[in-house]
Amino acid sequence: MSRNLLLHFRPQQISAAALRFTLTWGLGGMAALMIVQQLVTGLLLDIFYHPLPVQAYESVQHIQSTIFLGRLVRNLHHWIGHVLIVVVLLHLLRVFLSGAFYSSRRANWLVGLGLAALVLLANFSGYLLPWDQLSYWAVTIATSMLSYIPLIGIPCQELIRGGTDVGAATLQLFYFIHTSFVPATLFFLMTYHFWFVRKAGGVLISGNKTTDKQEKRNLVPVVPNLLVRELSFAAIVTSVIVIFSMRFDAPLGAMANPHLTPESVKAPWYFLGAQELLLHAPPLVAVFFLPLFIGSFLILLPFVKTVEDKTHPLLKTLVLIGFGFLLILTITGIWFRGPGMRLMWPW
Amino acid sequence: MAMVENVSSSRRSFLTKIWIGLGVVALLQFFTGAVTYFGSGRKQAEKKPVTLLQAGIITDFPPGSVTPIAKGHLYLNCLDDGSFLAISRKCTHLGCAVPWIEERKQFECPCHASVFDITGAVLKSPAPRALDLYTVSFEKNMVMINTSNPIKRTSFTHDQLVYAPKPS
Ligand code: FES
Repeated sequence: MSRNLLLHFRPQQISAAALRFTLTWGLGGMAALMIVQQLVTGLLLDIFYHPLPVQAYESVQHIQSTIFLGRLVRNLHHWIGHVLIVVVLLHLLRVFLSGAFYSSRRANWLVGLGLAALVLLANFSGYLLPWDQLSYWAVTIATSMLSYIPLIGIPCQELIRGGTDVGAATLQLFYFIHTSFVPATLFFLMTYHFWFVRKAGGVLISGNKTTDKQEKRNLVPVVPNLLVRELSFAAIVTSVIVIFSMRFDAPLGAMANPHLTPESVKAPWYFLGAQELLLHAPPLVAVFFLPLFIGSFLILLPFVKTVEDKTHPLLKTLVLIGFGFLLILTITGIWFRGPGMRLMWPW
Repeated sequence: MAMVENVSSSRRSFLTKIWIGLGVVALLQFFTGAVTYFGSGRKQAEKKPVTLLQAGIITDFPPGSVTPIAKGHLYLNCLDDGSFLAISRKCTHLGCAVPWIEERKQFECPCHASVFDITGAVLKSPAPRALDLYTVSFEKNMVMINTSNPIKRTSFTHDQLVYAPKPS
């Protein structure tokens, strides 16, 4: 029975060509692994966490200082959360570049976009939970960006905050999103995502045509060929993260104080591109039209008519340029902005 | 025979359409229900009664002073000519709390370096407009501030100033 269920996700044999690491760079698998790790560390943190102002901060302090391995668990959850966003974005880019989103994979591209949105939502909602100065003001800044959207901006902002300012109602909502909504939805979409890959005949094998044809026919059993590769990759990724988390602590500033904004506070890093743009472009473009444009572009992408399901090279170049542009903006926002948004060197 | 098949298949597709239609209606109902459920719960926290905050005795605020009123997240400013102005502490750029810098006599936002003068007018962007205002009134010799709804403004104009009644 369990064997049959597994067969929905993995066949018994796959073509030897599908084993090549550079087909996927292991990004999708890495994302899945990290989501499971987030679930485990998140549950451990949730045992001792209280989603109320003041108590939230104190409970995080308690987890860090008195609970056995508490600090390590929090560090893991924190760092994996950030790395996961990078991995998901790279995965998206990889799938785009190998053109694996046409015909039978079209629906799965959309499911993947949903997953990416959920991962972002998870990170952003988790940002507020420690209730320290950093999280309080970062969420204040990020939700303030909404106020630049005409008509619906302010009502949306107040709905999210549960009032005019970030407060207890905001924490309650973010806690719910982070610990109930996201995990439940993520689970369903992930199952779907994997099953769709299987249904479309495994990963897309691109590259040299003639040798591939031979290799494609050359079937090898999944156990051990694929399994060993996956497990060893997972082991490497996990040990790198654990070592990193043992070495570097997740930040925890002073307790949130709505009366005092600390020096050099920033929005979460994945919003810094938008914030940077906010300095140079009309606000409406930066926080509304650009995200709307990127969103609809990604959704409509697999429906564009193509020859032989190949992405036009020009489109690829344009997307890469756009991606590079956002990357530069984000990097500027993260490392080259000092107190008071002055441009400066990161050292 | 062929006709019979046609009839039954068109009836079937008609029924299928009804099913799909009903499904969509049910989904929409569920969705609006869920949104209203969520929204109504959030409104409670939002609703604020009109609150008049007693800031203090008029003479507590000498001309040329900026007094932070912690309870209302605002400043009560008394300008050099003795007029009053209650100013929100929330930066109009992205909502940070702006501190008053006494040496330079201006509000300086720690987040992205917007600067405002004592009237809340923008001296340096990125802030798009002047700091929000609150209505100031006087009761006997007390300064009262209506903290329930901040008033948005693009810039400072003289009719925003409020003068205390002359002591008789
Ligand atoms: S929040 Fe004050 S300048 Fe950005």
